[in-house]
Amino acid sequence: MTKRRYLVGVLATLAIVGPLAYLWQQSRMPGTYNVMDMGYVDHGGGPTTGGHHAADVSVDDLRVQDDREGDVTFVLTAREERFELASGRSVNGFTVNGTSPGPTITARVGELVEVTLRNENVPAGVTIHWHGIDVPNSQDGVAGITQDAVRTGEEHVYRFVAEQVGTYWYHSHQVSHRQVVRGLLGAVIVLPAEPDDRLDVTALAHTYGGVRTINGEEGAVTVPATSGQVTRVRVINTDNGRIPVWSGSPYKVLAVDGYDVNEPTTVNGKLYAVPAGGRVDLEVVAPARVQIGGSTALVVGEDSEPVRQPRDTVDLLSYGSPAELPFEAGATDRDFDYRIGRRPGFVDGVPGFWWSINGHLWPDIPMFTVEEGDVVRFRIKNSSGEIHPMHLHGHHAVVLSRNGEEATGSPWWVDSLDVEDGEEYEIAFLADNPGLWADHCHNLNHAAEGLIAHLMYAGVTTPYELGDDSGNEPD
Amino acid sequence: MQKAYKILAHTIAGLVTIQAAVMVFAVAGLFYWIEEDEGFLDKGVIEGWDADPPTWMGAIGVPIHGMSGMFLIPLLGLVLLIISFFAGVRGGTKWAGIVLGLIVVQVALGLFAHGAPALGLLHGINAFLLFYAAISAGRAAKTTSVDEPAMVG
Repeated sequence: MTKRRYLVGVLATLAIVGPLAYLWQQSRMPGTYNVMDMGYVDHGGGPTTGGHHAADVSVDDLRVQDDREGDVTFVLTAREERFELASGRSVNGFTVNGTSPGPTITARVGELVEVTLRNENVPAGVTIHWHGIDVPNSQDGVAGITQDAVRTGEEHVYRFVAEQVGTYWYHSHQVSHRQVVRGLLGAVIVLPAEPDDRLDVTALAHTYGGVRTINGEEGAVTVPATSGQVTRVRVINTDNGRIPVWSGSPYKVLAVDGYDVNEPTTVNGKLYAVPAGGRVDLEVVAPARVQIGGSTALVVGEDSEPVRQPRDTVDLLSYGSPAELPFEAGATDRDFDYRIGRRPGFVDGVPGFWWSINGHLWPDIPMFTVEEGDVVRFRIKNSSGEIHPMHLHGHHAVVLSRNGEEATGSPWWVDSLDVEDGEEYEIAFLADNPGLWADHCHNLNHAAEGLIAHLMYAGVTTPYELGDDSGNEPD
Repeated sequence: MQKAYKILAHTIAGLVTIQAAVMVFAVAGLFYWIEEDEGFLDKGVIEGWDADPPTWMGAIGVPIHGMSGMFLIPLLGLVLLIISFFAGVRGGTKWAGIVLGLIVVQVALGLFAHGAPALGLLHGINAFLLFYAAISAGRAAKTTSVDEPAMVG
């Protein structure tokens, strides 16, 4: 080989390896870092005031008053172990008080819920996030943002007032793409002050090792009911993908993500698609078979033959009747774009075909900054090739439009919204819960792959850190 | 260097063969799981696979196909191209470039097939082209040499 050829070879090698090495190096994250230092600030067209100043409030200070005693108290002990599901199937995973799903947390509206989380033996640490409940920020349970992960042998107390009646769930937000999938979760039900006449049934769907379950049971799960008994079925999708729900009997969609639907109408021969992380309360009259995915069903009263999955889907954009919103959704103070795409690159040193937010890969993504009292609008556009169930912590947003078509039905309040490939949603919410809030895809694999941004209130800071050396890995 | 080039080219061809094998293993196992073990598949089930894999025989084929196709084979393709600069194989860089190009196309087709299943047809056909190119690269190393292997002044 001549010297010239050799030199050309070396230069060609450098031309290939050099840019790759540069991109790899640039993408690597330090051992510890603060979420507030990530990415770039996006003010959404609003004022750029706020930021770091003497009046900064720590997320720790955003909590319910300390001197108020808990009305309902629970102790949840997290373990990593081999355990039996209610169906008798044995699986490796995580339990809460020895079972998965863990115990249901039930409270009446207005009660102060106090939960002590103990980590018995989970080496990676655990937290509890109250999915769909707009808790004070310090109680949100996101490791590295609102608290440190609870290490083995330690405990942490959560306190929040159950202000919104509805169906919710709790799950770990530490290494959540593993811990949630493997069972560290349970249901939360907030009951109205006055008891409801309906039979009340919770159907928490979760898949263990490729097998779908309802409350840990497989196949058709029967609930005794008398013929004609009106029943509220609370479906909770704790999986990473949407679950179709349908029935051969007529049903009504009573509530979505903990918010009542205004004047729900009777649905016949349509399926309801529950987004990952989402919940729906259906009203059926016994006997009724509510199919939850293809392999599991909740049977209320006497069983009947399963019916085929309908082709048509309930469209909440036009379901129910309009009602007044608690804020002027047309007069927004901040307008944000949340454009989801996909492109090749490096994320924390790992090459891949990663999700992008507004064209950027994690961590070079927007920090959506608001001030308390702002009316905020997000345009969520998905051109990534896959569906994304987008979940905003600490707030409920109302859907304004989809692909330019305005919502005409009941106010459609969401904390978990499926945005299909090619769709664009406009949603709005009132910034009334100060803090640092995750706004991410609840396909938890996608969140771990960088599809997670944050909503930051001006003047709020966090003392907690992320990064490999911090012990906090929220996704 | 020539030997390294040849081994690497044949390794890529071998891995392409394994890619096809494990995928068919996975699909066959999946159908068996559904038909014989009453397994059920939907989006929620699929998206839990990474952290909590199902137990059907052949399920391991899915992560093998993904890891090998997304990381190992592209890496080896890149190394093959770099080695080609120094191996002195006649047409070696050309073949390595073709191999790497086909790998890039293959990965893109595999990823985009999730949203456009018809691309899966091209993914299958391109696998044969990639296999042929990798074998051809290996053969080029066996039969020819541009010049002497050692560097001279």
